[in-house]
Formats: sequence, structure tokens, C-alpha cells
Amino acid sequence: MRQKWIYVLLGLAAVLLIRNLYVILYVLPDEKEQGPIYRVIFFHLPAFFTAGLCYMAALLASLHTLLRQSSRADALAVAATEVGLAFAAVNLITGMIWARIIWGIWWTWDARLTWALICWLIYAGYLMLRHAIEDPTQRARHSAVLNVFAFAAVIITWKAIEWWRTQHPGPVLSIRGARGAMDPAMESMIYQNWLALLLLGAVLVALRLDQERVQREVEALRRQAHAKA
Amino acid sequence: MVREILVVASKDLRTELRTKESINASLSFALTVLLLFSFAFDPTAEQVRQISGGLLWLVFAFAGALVLNRSFARERDNDCLEALVASPLPAWALFLGKCLANLVLLVAIELVCLPVFGVFYNVNWARRPLPLLAVLVLATWGMTVLGTTFSALTVNLRLRELMLPVLLYPMIIPVLIAAIELTTTLVAGEPLQAEQWVWVRLLVAFDIIFTSLAVAFAETVLIS
Amino acid sequence: MEERNIAFMFYALAIAWGLLFGYLATLAARQRRLQRELDNLRKIVQSQQEAP
Repeated sequence: MRQKWIYVLLGLAAVLLIRNLYVILYVLPDEKEQGPIYRVIFFHLPAFFTAGLCYMAALLASLHTLLRQSSRADALAVAATEVGLAFAAVNLITGMIWARIIWGIWWTWDARLTWALICWLIYAGYLMLRHAIEDPTQRARHSAVLNVFAFAAVIITWKAIEWWRTQHPGPVLSIRGARGAMDPAMESMIYQNWLALLLLGAVLVALRLDQERVQREVEALRRQAHAKA
Repeated sequence: MVREILVVASKDLRTELRTKESINASLSFALTVLLLFSFAFDPTAEQVRQISGGLLWLVFAFAGALVLNRSFARERDNDCLEALVASPLPAWALFLGKCLANLVLLVAIELVCLPVFGVFYNVNWARRPLPLLAVLVLATWGMTVLGTTFSALTVNLRLRELMLPVLLYPMIIPVLIAAIELTTTLVAGEPLQAEQWVWVRLLVAFDIIFTSLAVAFAETVLIS
Repeated sequence: MEERNIAFMFYALAIAWGLLFGYLATLAARQRRLQRELDNLRKIVQSQQEAP
């Protein structure tokens, strides 16, 4: 039953992504200063939002793990973090390619770029710690604590680096108060592609969750087999 | 409560002073890195003035990880950690005691490194000793609180010596940025500019936030 | 310059798609491997239970 829903969502996400790609490439005109490369933003920004949502979901799941000792919440925390890292990687790499054309360089130690990279490293550390702990109960509790620390560190690092320097273009979306900075058709496309990426993200999280469940079953069976042998 | 924290801290310091295992390793490592930097960059006096904070804090961060790694690993022999957890001490007192011991050790190492840095790089570093000491303590506390927590998280892992730096360094970047900015100014003998107070506030905020988080989760981390 | 602009746009979009669907593919592969392992273990446990 659950499997079927995953496939339906995946199909929906794929159709939407292909339709969006068509609109992005053939319907929307080039931007007058940046040329075709501006289209990167339709993946760059939605991927960032999706990654942010994933990290927040992981934080809530981790807090739930700590309060209720729930192993399902723990599975959600790891699934959301891993998917978040995938979207954050999309965000970073598309941004770098855009920067190569517009700024002429792949990378600059600007506030947001540096911050995004540090976030990636912090959450990659979380996955590494999980990987290193063998006992499931200890893994759930310890990695939940680390996740809470990671989120706090991400917030503080954001402030620290903002004071340090800023070069990245400011907000372009109208909800951030930058009314008129962007063509409405283009802005709406950002949201449409965000929807598509969110659907894909939900599918990825669901698949990853399934894996945690099977993994637990495998571990339990293995213990059983060992006990008998 | 203060007494309990001090008991744990003095116990840790005494064991460390008897064996000197992490202090010796950490100090010689720090001095080697200081030496290597001068080969790698061969800086002029003006360059030293600009990079002093960065150089010192990289050394402190590397040396710090060595000390922090041992903080809980030391208790593995003879199941000392189980005994400590089973003692009537509350978990957070045990944790803060260990933090305090690590803070003292790290600041001591830093205070040895500074004159050596001054000699090797021809810098009169002690022109503003008290503000510099305050920055050292504030920033080292931030590093210590996170490092001690992660030391407890990784103590039972096979890869603990590798895991601690991987977890610690990305998260203490705000502390390092602030400490580097402030130390560079103070070592050059200049007073803090008005706009640099933001870094002092950052250090204080970081310390408060992570000390409260660490205290809140001390029991979860230690007892399981 | 204009050509490179277009080419880089294609690279960026391709990498965005490639990363996400590549991750999807690794997830699917891992899932199959785990399922196989689970089936194997079930068989082992079952045979253990049948034996005295």
C-alpha cells in the first residue's frame, strides 16, 4: 500500500519536473542581463528551501526522539538529513556553476556560500557519527543530541558569517519584501519547481525511511540467528 | 553544587598532571605546528601582524582536539566512567567539572604557546594581557563545551580520534572567527574598535547557548 | 561568451537532475540489497527453527 503511494508521488514529481523543465527552457525568455544562465535559479533556490525544510524536519524528529525515545522519529531524522544533504549539494553546485559565468569564479568566501558549505559539513558529520555507533538505542539518542547541537550551530554560524562578509545577491522573492525585483512569471516558476522538488524530496524521504525499517528488521533477525547458532 | 563541579575538575587535573599524557602530546604538537607555519609562509613582520590571530587559533584548535579527545577516553580504563555515572553526582555537574578541567588545561597550553609565538615570530604579544586573557577564556570555553560533549558522544566508538575533529571543527567556526578577529587586534597591541564588540557578544552568546544545551543534554549523553 | 553561458546552464540543470535522480537510484539499489539480505536471514532463521 505504502509502496504504491511512493510510486504515485514519484510519477507525479517526475511529470511536474519534466513539465517545469519544458517551461523553463522554452517558454520563459532569457533574462536581459544574465542571459540563459539565470535559469539555474529555478533549481538553486527551491533546492535550498527543500534542504532547509529537511533540516528542520530532522530537528523536530530528533527532539521527538529525545522526549519519547521513538525509533521511528529517529529514522525520520536520518532520512530527512540525508535527503537534505542531497538537496543542499544541488544548491551548492548549481550556485557554483552560476557564479562561474556571472562572477567569473567558481567559489568566493562570501557569507552565504561559506555558510551553506559549513552546514553541509556539519550535517555530514551527523551522518558519520550515526554510521560509527553500533548500538541502535545509543545511536538514536546520541545522534539526536548532535542534531540539536548542529541546528543551533547552523543558526549561530549564520549570524557570525553575516557579520564577517556579504557578496551574494540579496533576496529576489516578493515575499521577502523585494517587490518588483523579479518578473512574476519567473517567480511563480520558482514556486512551481519548488513544489516538484518537494514532491521528489517526500519520495526520497519515504524510501529512506523504508530502508531504516528493513535495516532494523535485518539487525533483529541477525541477532536472532546469532543467538541460535 | 559548585563544590561537586570542583571535585570532578580537580580529580581530572590531578590525573592529568600525574600522567601528563595529553598535555605533553598537545604541547609538543602545538609547538611543532607553530614551527611549521614559519617554514610554510616565512612571513614578514607586517604579515605576522595580520595573521597572528589565525595562526594562533589554528594551533589552539588542533592542540585542543587532542586534549578533548582524552577527556572521556581516559575514563574507559577500569570502567571509571561507569563508576562516575553511578556516583551521586548529577550528570551535569560531572560534565561541567570535566569542561572546567579541559578549560584550565587548554588555557595553560595557550599561555605556553603565546610566548613561544612571540619569540619565534618577534612579536611583543603581551601589550594588552587582560583583554587577551578574557578572549582566550571566552573562546576556549566555547570550544571546550562542544568538545567535551562530543568527546562523550564519541568515547565508545572505534574511530573516536577521527570523529571528534570531524564533528567539532565545523561547529566551532563562529568561535574561531570571533577569536581570530579579536586576537589579531589585541596581539598587535591595539585597543578593540567599537565595531569589534560584536565579536565579544558573539562569543558570549555562543558560550551561553551551548553551555545550556550541553547541561540540558548531559544526562542523555552520559547515561546510556 | 554567449555559448558558454548556454552550455553552463545545461551543465547546471543536468547536474541538478543527475544528483537527485542518482541519489534516487542509489536508494533503490540499497533497498534491493537490504531486501535480499532480509530474505536470506529469514531463510536462515527458519531453517534454524526447523532443526532441533
